[in-house]
Amino acid sequence: MNTTDFPILTLPLKRDDVERLQVGDMVLLSGQITVTIGLPTHQRMLDYLAAGQPLPVDLKDGAFFHLSCFNREGVDGTHEALYMNPSTSTRYNPSMPGLIEGYGLRLVGGKGGLDAASVQAMQRQGCVYLSFLGGGCTLLSQAIRRVVAVHWTDYISQFRLVTLQVEALGPATVAIDAHGNSVYAQLLDQAAQLREQLVEQMQTRRNTSLKD
Amino acid sequence: MAITSEQIRNLTADLYEWSLKKIPEDTKQALASAGGRERSAVGRKTLSMMIKSADAAERNGGLVCSDVGIPVYSIKIGTRVQFDGPVKQAIVDGFALLAARIDPPILKMVTNPLTHERSHQGRDIPIVSFDLIDEADYIDITCSPKAMGTGRWETLETFVYPTLDTIERHVLDTVIRVGSQACPPMVVGVGIGGTFDHAARIAKEAVLRPFGQTNPEPLLAGMEQRLLDAINGLGFGPMGTGGDSTAMAVHINYAGSHGFVPIAVSLNCWINRRTRARIHADGRVERIE
Repeated sequence: MNTTDFPILTLPLKRDDVERLQVGDMVLLSGQITVTIGLPTHQRMLDYLAAGQPLPVDLKDGAFFHLSCFNREGVDGTHEALYMNPSTSTRYNPSMPGLIEGYGLRLVGGKGGLDAASVQAMQRQGCVYLSFLGGGCTLLSQAIRRVVAVHWTDYISQFRLVTLQVEALGPATVAIDAHGNSVYAQLLDQAAQLREQLVEQMQTRRNTSLKD
Repeated sequence: MAITSEQIRNLTADLYEWSLKKIPEDTKQALASAGGRERSAVGRKTLSMMIKSADAAERNGGLVCSDVGIPVYSIKIGTRVQFDGPVKQAIVDGFALLAARIDPPILKMVTNPLTHERSHQGRDIPIVSFDLIDEADYIDITCSPKAMGTGRWETLETFVYPTLDTIERHVLDTVIRVGSQACPPMVVGVGIGGTFDHAARIAKEAVLRPFGQTNPEPLLAGMEQRLLDAINGLGFGPMGTGGDSTAMAVHINYAGSHGFVPIAVSLNCWINRRTRARIHADGRVERIE
């Protein structure tokens, strides 16, 4: 598997660009992405929206990911980002519909997916969810080209709002598309449907082995 | 000869670093063989990325995952061993040493549960359990940093005279509830019986068991195989984006119980952090995995 096997999306993106993507597509990303894994960061972003106050970084048509980033101030006062890696997105479920539509996001992501309310917000907005490789710290970090900005440094490293220039980040898997399809919802439905059948198979095997 | 505080301090620091930068060999092999069986194309590519990621971390001295978790050590002490100096403090110092020196530096993950303040230290951190090995002249230290990806989904529930069917349904339902969120393919460790605390402990030991051993208890050997097949029939797949590889292993331990039977389900994600080393009474340090 070479990274050249995957199409590259270059940020910022138009609605058409993300509407073309389908669940199961694997893509690479180039351009600017903004990342955080702070719950308080999400709340502050919602507060800014409610107050009509612009964020320190413009996220319109951009990418906002649940990637945990180690960043620190270098000797010359600029920031460096040593590595990044996805975190579970579902804990931000309550904030995400507001952020997706409020800031006009085209890409969100992390790992583990988002709930139905976010899927609907993504469909209205024209936005897709990308699943990054958990435990992909070293691989994913190779795509970091430079730190564009680190905002809200009153937070610990991974809670800050970090904007990075990346090149060929990924591959990441389209797990929720802009048409209301979520691989996570599909798999949960499928598992619920298969459950009784799998339990019966275990019962049959158990009864057979206990008779032996 | 006695085992010194310095040996324990250095080894607990090393074990933590090794567990962040290298996945166990059996786990890498399990990912590769899952790739051979996986019917989903996205699943196969994701498994291949996992192996590539683990190799890159090992080669470059990088972290496999940025969530370095909280430090958890399990120490088994041979009863013929003597110590020269404090042991518990040496482990606390070992983690502090690691947090200060590791390159790349690690994020603050130890969280005060009351104030949500983050740091590299906290009450009862590192979390250490002790056990004895009669007559042995060594100590074994296992390090298994625990992070939120799987930690938040582990369960402990008490049943009354559960049937095998009830137990197997419960484990399957726990995995369904986790769904796509805990970086599958996972290791599922189950502890059945004992008391509230003991069930959790034996479930954790089950997670840490190396792959490929047949459970000496025939009832459990069968249950492990049935549950592994059932879990891999659910379809969540690598990283939960679909496929046949949802679990690499199901390991089950049990203990004598009462009519009330606590059942603990413990989980590890695909990187399956687990390192082990032995300090012999003569001072030799042996890295086991």
